[in-house]
Amino acid sequence: MSELLEVRNLSVSFDTPAGEIQAVRDVSLTVKTGEVLAIVGETGCGKSVLCKSILRLLPDIASIKTGRILLNGADITDYRERDMCRLRGRVFAMVFQNPMTVLNPSLSVGAQIAEAVKIHSPGMTRLAVEQRTLELLRLVKIDHPEERCKQYPAHLSGGMRQRCVLAIALAAEPELLFADEPTTALDVTIQAQILELFREVQAKLHMAAIFVTHDLSVAAMAADRVAVMYAGKIVEIGTTEEIFRNPRHPYTWGLMRALPALAGGRRRLYAIPGMPPTLIDPPKGDAFACRNEYALAIDYEEQPPMFPVTETHFAATWLLDERAKGLEIPVPDFGCSDAEEERGELAAEPDILLDVQHLTHVFPLSKKETLTAVDDVSFQIRKGEIFGLIGESGSGKSTVARCIMNVYRPTGGSIIWQGINVCNPKAFHTHKKLLQSARQIIFQDADDSLNPRKKVCDIIMEPMKLQHVRPPRGTMRAEAAFWLQRVGMDAAYLDQYPSALSGGQRQRIAIARALSMEPTFLVADEPVAALDVSMQAQVVNLFKQLQEELGFSFLFIAHDLAMVRFLCNRVGVMHQGRLVETASAEELFRHPKHPYTRRLIESMPIPDFSWGVSERRQDR
Amino acid sequence: MNSKRRIEGLAQRVLFFLASVFVLSVLVFYVSRLAPGDPLVSYYGDRAEKMSPEEREWAEDKLGLNAPIHVQYICWLQNAFRGDFGISYKYKMDVKELVGGRIGNTLLLGGIGFVLIFVLALALGVCCAWHEERLADRMICRIGTITSCIPEFWLSLAGILIFAVTLRWLPSSGAYSIGKENDLGDRVRHLILPLSVIVISHLWYYAYMVRNKLLEEVRAEYVLLARMKGLNKRQVLFGHCLRNVMPAYFSLMALAVPHVLGGTYIVETVFSYPGIGTLTYESARYQDYNLLMLLSLFTGIIVIFCNVSAQMVSERIDPRLRMDDQRRYEEVDRL
Repeated sequence: MSELLEVRNLSVSFDTPAGEIQAVRDVSLTVKTGEVLAIVGETGCGKSVLCKSILRLLPDIASIKTGRILLNGADITDYRERDMCRLRGRVFAMVFQNPMTVLNPSLSVGAQIAEAVKIHSPGMTRLAVEQRTLELLRLVKIDHPEERCKQYPAHLSGGMRQRCVLAIALAAEPELLFADEPTTALDVTIQAQILELFREVQAKLHMAAIFVTHDLSVAAMAADRVAVMYAGKIVEIGTTEEIFRNPRHPYTWGLMRALPALAGGRRRLYAIPGMPPTLIDPPKGDAFACRNEYALAIDYEEQPPMFPVTETHFAATWLLDERAKGLEIPVPDFGCSDAEEERGELAAEPDILLDVQHLTHVFPLSKKETLTAVDDVSFQIRKGEIFGLIGESGSGKSTVARCIMNVYRPTGGSIIWQGINVCNPKAFHTHKKLLQSARQIIFQDADDSLNPRKKVCDIIMEPMKLQHVRPPRGTMRAEAAFWLQRVGMDAAYLDQYPSALSGGQRQRIAIARALSMEPTFLVADEPVAALDVSMQAQVVNLFKQLQEELGFSFLFIAHDLAMVRFLCNRVGVMHQGRLVETASAEELFRHPKHPYTRRLIESMPIPDFSWGVSERRQDR
Repeated sequence: MNSKRRIEGLAQRVLFFLASVFVLSVLVFYVSRLAPGDPLVSYYGDRAEKMSPEEREWAEDKLGLNAPIHVQYICWLQNAFRGDFGISYKYKMDVKELVGGRIGNTLLLGGIGFVLIFVLALALGVCCAWHEERLADRMICRIGTITSCIPEFWLSLAGILIFAVTLRWLPSSGAYSIGKENDLGDRVRHLILPLSVIVISHLWYYAYMVRNKLLEEVRAEYVLLARMKGLNKRQVLFGHCLRNVMPAYFSLMALAVPHVLGGTYIVETVFSYPGIGTLTYESARYQDYNLLMLLSLFTGIIVIFCNVSAQMVSERIDPRLRMDDQRRYEEVDRL
């Protein structure tokens, strides 16, 4: 296999008013023809920037400081926009993270694919272009391509759109496909399908690919080789087998241990402490040192070089240095231990807090058509219980949550909360104050749910003000500071705006805001879906800890099965508006009864590092 | 199914249009009669002040001003359906003839002005977006900001002073020189100054809107995908971004019609241009009810028609805006 792409000592910086952000620092890698390289890392570690700088898609404030990019041995670092245009599509292609926004909403998907076909073969007749478009749609397994062709992106689901984006990428049979988190925005089952399709197409066209993801399990399923990136640098690179069987860098260990699928009965998920550094002034030594439990003194002084582990496996950690050989390094175990759950089994059936009976909610689409989002759903949540609700997007989970929180008025059924029928407007009004303070909700995206023009302390204080709560800790500000510390943040953040904080911190503020009312019932609508693996672990640990301390009942909505399994006592599975199965978490995962639950569990990307990798490679 | 739906949509639009015109006529009719002033003054001039109460009664009876307002309105409506809009109190002639004689001039001035604004604003906006934050862009934006602050009448006066009085290049007023009614060159020469004023005073605002909308689109994610196909900057800007800007631009320009029309009225007054701008102003001032009704109906119809047609054009270009689908998307989004 010849080397298709070679990146040598690439450094990319952004010139911002705050200073120079060194997004990519001294990265070297190669991709061979037909090979899949996964780049793994947290948000902001520079993996997307690395790809976009190779493709020259970055805005003008970004520039390549040093390094060369070689394509088939030819230097393309200094190519101008005109030359890059010729390479894009034909040699390089890209699939993006969010299929909802990357398609032009006002052009039919057929036209968008046809455009990609035409641009690289201008002489093609209209009929031939049409044929080729249909052929591409068939290649990415879209049914009824003739009709789909004429539809607009708004008519298609997320998975379908991602297939269309892939079809566009494949239009000119590129040699190297960049996939930037192609499955992150999709549901579990769709994610599995797209991943499958991706591998199939990649093998069929014998195309090389760079697969960017923050999800190690996805990388394990898709890639031949894996590069782990942290703070703009590649800290470990090797074949998939080497990385997952014999990881050498502490950061890789941390990422792997943070996966809820590997929690295996532990009471807490492992979370890498702290946050990635900002890259305006990268630390002098190893950027990971301050979060590294195994950091050596030299880590704070000098950046580690790449130490070879094998011919194909390199890691940048001083732990591999000659001088560190003598040290006893407690390599963590990643295997799923079968240690029996010591999950706090609830003592003898506590009282029912929330009783949802035959809940139905219908949205009117037009005068004649309706959409039944929730169809006859019944479940109970007991006091002090964590109830998980899982299902794909559009299965009605959020609608259930919103009905419970009186955002929507259900079409049918009843919701009894502590003896109060909250669907009844009269009852709701009599108990308005209680209902509004004792039940709180946390939304998926703290970005959108926190008012960007309010300071953190105002955000936390607002519900208290609205409900005229007498703050138990003197002033409201003291109260806000208390809850901020309770969710693991410093009181110094009180006077900052949400935009100055990271996603994980914002979600913590949303939690503090909800908890400041000391609710007895908390609803969290996909609270960690927008976060990175390591941040997810931190936030989920926080939920678990707070729930144990404060004892509120908790409705946890998620699409991440492993997370639900780790956190929840009981789980309900929703499918197309119906609650198809309810069982205790362990029972559900060990003995799923409904076929849909089984399908969900099967499509879970479980990184079974011990054997899965080698087996998959044999059947290729 | 599809064509049925389309006809339904069209019928709905026409109904909406007629209803709007009706409401407009009622409003103008009532409000104009509530405004202070004496319509007899415009009919009889100074004589009206010396009339005895009996004479006034008789005169008001003759003009049909004695009946309750709703009776007057119904009467007016009946006549209007027959095509009779009454006579102008001030000019003592059929308002249709009066307006008909002048409307061509206004349509010519406003119409050409509007088309020029439409085309030039688009061109300037695209040019700015193409050269974003470079010299050309900055210059155009600066000049635009300054010019759009200058009121039209001042700009007109300055224009007359410079080009008509000092340089004597262009005529200062009217639509044509005396005796040269059918001379095309002469007409064009008379149009240049008022037209420039209208275009210059409106152009920048819309050019700026196009620029900002385009730059918003350029930052959208689908541009990345378009670039990854191998499209160059021109193809992305014209094939994708501009296409998505056009619906917004059409509706904006439809909303611009009343502004440009209003501007035309002012410019007409300054240039003593024989259009309906001057007429409208006078009719409102002198309580010339019949003339006022016809002129406001005419202006209103143009404005409403432009809005409705802009919506239809936008829908053809942007499938998301289609009425029957719109609500569905909203609902699905909320899920």
